[in-house]
Amino acid sequence: MKKKVLAVMLSSAMAATVLAGCGSSGSSDTAATTAATEAAAPAATEAATTAATEAAAEAGSGDYENCTLTMDWWGGDSRHEATQKAIDGFKAKYPGIDVQVNFGAWSDWETAKAAEYVSGNNPDVQQTNFDWIGKYDADGTTFLDLNTVSDTFDLTQYDQSVLDICKDSKGGLAGIPVAMTGRTFYWNKATFDQAGIETPKTLADLEAAGATFKDKLGDNYYPLVIGEYDRAILMTYYLQAQYGEPIISPEGNFSYTQDQLKEGIAFIDKLEDEHVIPTEEYILGEGADSMDKSARFINGEYAGIFEWDTAAKKYITALGDNGSNLVVGTPFADMGPKGTGSYQKVSLMFSISAKTEHPHEAALLLNYLLNDPEGVTAMGTERGIPNSKAAYDTLDKAGMIDPMNAEARKAVEDSNPMYWNPLFDDSSLKGDSPALYTDVFDQLSYDQIDEAAAAEALYAGYTAIAPAK
Amino acid sequence: MANTKTKTLSQAQARIERRRITSVIVRYVILIVVGLIMVYPLIWMVGATFKQNSEIFTTLNPIPKEPTTQGYIDAMKSYGGNINIWRAMLNTYSYVIPEVVLTIISSVLTAYGFARFRFKGHDIMFTAMMAMLFLPQVVLNVPQYLLYNKFGWVGSPFYLALIVPTAFATETYFIFMLIQFLRNIPKDLEEAAAIDGCNTLQTLVRIIVPMLMPAIVSCALFKFMWSSNDFLGPLLYVNTPAKYPATIFVKLSMDADTGFNWNRVLATSLISILPNICVFFAAQNQFVDGISAGGVKG
Repeated sequence: MKKKVLAVMLSSAMAATVLAGCGSSGSSDTAATTAATEAAAPAATEAATTAATEAAAEAGSGDYENCTLTMDWWGGDSRHEATQKAIDGFKAKYPGIDVQVNFGAWSDWETAKAAEYVSGNNPDVQQTNFDWIGKYDADGTTFLDLNTVSDTFDLTQYDQSVLDICKDSKGGLAGIPVAMTGRTFYWNKATFDQAGIETPKTLADLEAAGATFKDKLGDNYYPLVIGEYDRAILMTYYLQAQYGEPIISPEGNFSYTQDQLKEGIAFIDKLEDEHVIPTEEYILGEGADSMDKSARFINGEYAGIFEWDTAAKKYITALGDNGSNLVVGTPFADMGPKGTGSYQKVSLMFSISAKTEHPHEAALLLNYLLNDPEGVTAMGTERGIPNSKAAYDTLDKAGMIDPMNAEARKAVEDSNPMYWNPLFDDSSLKGDSPALYTDVFDQLSYDQIDEAAAAEALYAGYTAIAPAK
Repeated sequence: MANTKTKTLSQAQARIERRRITSVIVRYVILIVVGLIMVYPLIWMVGATFKQNSEIFTTLNPIPKEPTTQGYIDAMKSYGGNINIWRAMLNTYSYVIPEVVLTIISSVLTAYGFARFRFKGHDIMFTAMMAMLFLPQVVLNVPQYLLYNKFGWVGSPFYLALIVPTAFATETYFIFMLIQFLRNIPKDLEEAAAIDGCNTLQTLVRIIVPMLMPAIVSCALFKFMWSSNDFLGPLLYVNTPAKYPATIFVKLSMDADTGFNWNRVLATSLISILPNICVFFAAQNQFVDGISAGGVKG
């Protein structure tokens, strides 16, 4: 009997272990990342080519050595497919160059790449994150300065201002910014219709919507839902609108005083008090680790989100048949005396290893993927709306640019995009607890600390990584 | 008189019988309820493989409202002809099985050495080994990667970086468990074997190993599960999609930014854990004996 009971207990425990095992492989992939893609491109059509890109492609295709290149990227299904297709096209166009690819999901990808950087066997061509420049290329010896291959890779397709932000400490161009991404609002129009109001165009609208939602729809309806990191970003929007300076300057200095930070925190606190955003307790109580998995968002109880424009697709998908209810919001002109401001950052980059034996061929591959009409058509908008002018023209003519994504991009670009320093995402600030944004905004929302204490904690955290001016 | 006695006796028997039945019913009800609670997530997962994303996140009901088999259809898709689920599962077992075999051989040898022989530095080495039990894998990742990279094992098509270390008794927990088990095997048996002419190795193979069998099976099962659930190891040391094991394959479609179809991921997971579940059920009795014997007598 004893043995039987034990047997039952142990087999239950075993079943639990097995379940736990597959649970973690199924759900842990939630780390907010800077990488992003846009709508899966429809089957590629042969696109008209611009004279500029033809010239660029021609210039590069002259002479090359037969060799084997290695390349890797992270992403999901459609990105894997599109990129492999583009690479097949490259191999057909440049016979003799073989490309060995490696791809995976984002979860733990950076861990594996970090190990490669330490040992120096990173692949020739690589999809990289913007903040990796500071992390793994601090001395400029990890990634090739792409100016050295500018005869092969057509840099003229990119705005100099965009290229400038991808410089390493030595002034070398560490990566090609494939696409930009910005933070913007998305509203669930159906819920606003239900409440009998328009989607918010100004901050005043939004604040008023809080009360309207509460009265007309009930306590569980909120016009906007934002997590801890979103709160930190919205706070900086507010501060930028008041004082007109990015929170961390390009030189890496923290721009505000503790009192100014307190104002920003008070702004977030006020939104919560006015029923504009739910408390963290209420959000976390549901147990969804991101809003696309939240039943309240899917049901329309949370009627607004604040997200990277490249990540909107997952929210549209999450709404299922009601996906078309989600509309792009406009930045609020009445945020403060200095107007609006939106974060815009490099969504992701492609870099070439400084240790590559075939820089010319690697640059050929990159040029094919990012500037050559053939490659661009195959790649689609899997990595966002391309910065490359040639690529944009090609995709635009082929009708491959998702209108909603384009609208969101425009909303960000029109809002006086502000400088975004990667230090804002420092691991001491962003991420799971213990990280400052999570800790401070949770404690504030749970009323464990007051605004002054929150400002003090944030100020200490910011100035620890970005000294005050 | 005799009649009443019989009556009371039969009444008593009936009462005992009733009690027995009640107790059986109560026990089974409790077992079934608790069992259902335990298995519920698995049932939900099976149901979820037939659901759309929006339904997965909005209902706890395991029965899908609008069933779809798209998850399974997608699960069969290959990535550029490089890798599909069957290939990935084959890859998994092509390193899991050697890992299990090597772990068992090396752990039994090491445990035998520590349990039965006194040699210079025995205590210090045993202490050092036990201390390793508390060393988390995370701190080993980078140094191990650098070392294996020097050996040229990173990206090896034979999974050298995953398999070779297991030949050196790296699973401290198993050694500890086997030593505990060995302490309960009387030394008289080995003495008898020695008198009959067995050398040390023969004693191990012919006498100790058969007695250790339940413990060995537990170790093998644990190692089998840990290895086939390992994600970071293959991610670090395998860098060609064609060689990806199931753990990585399952995650390939999971794009945190643009979202993905959970039914596909769940369907792939479900298919890839089936062999593990089969192995577990096949070896269940031995396994339970192994842990309980080690646990109770140790």
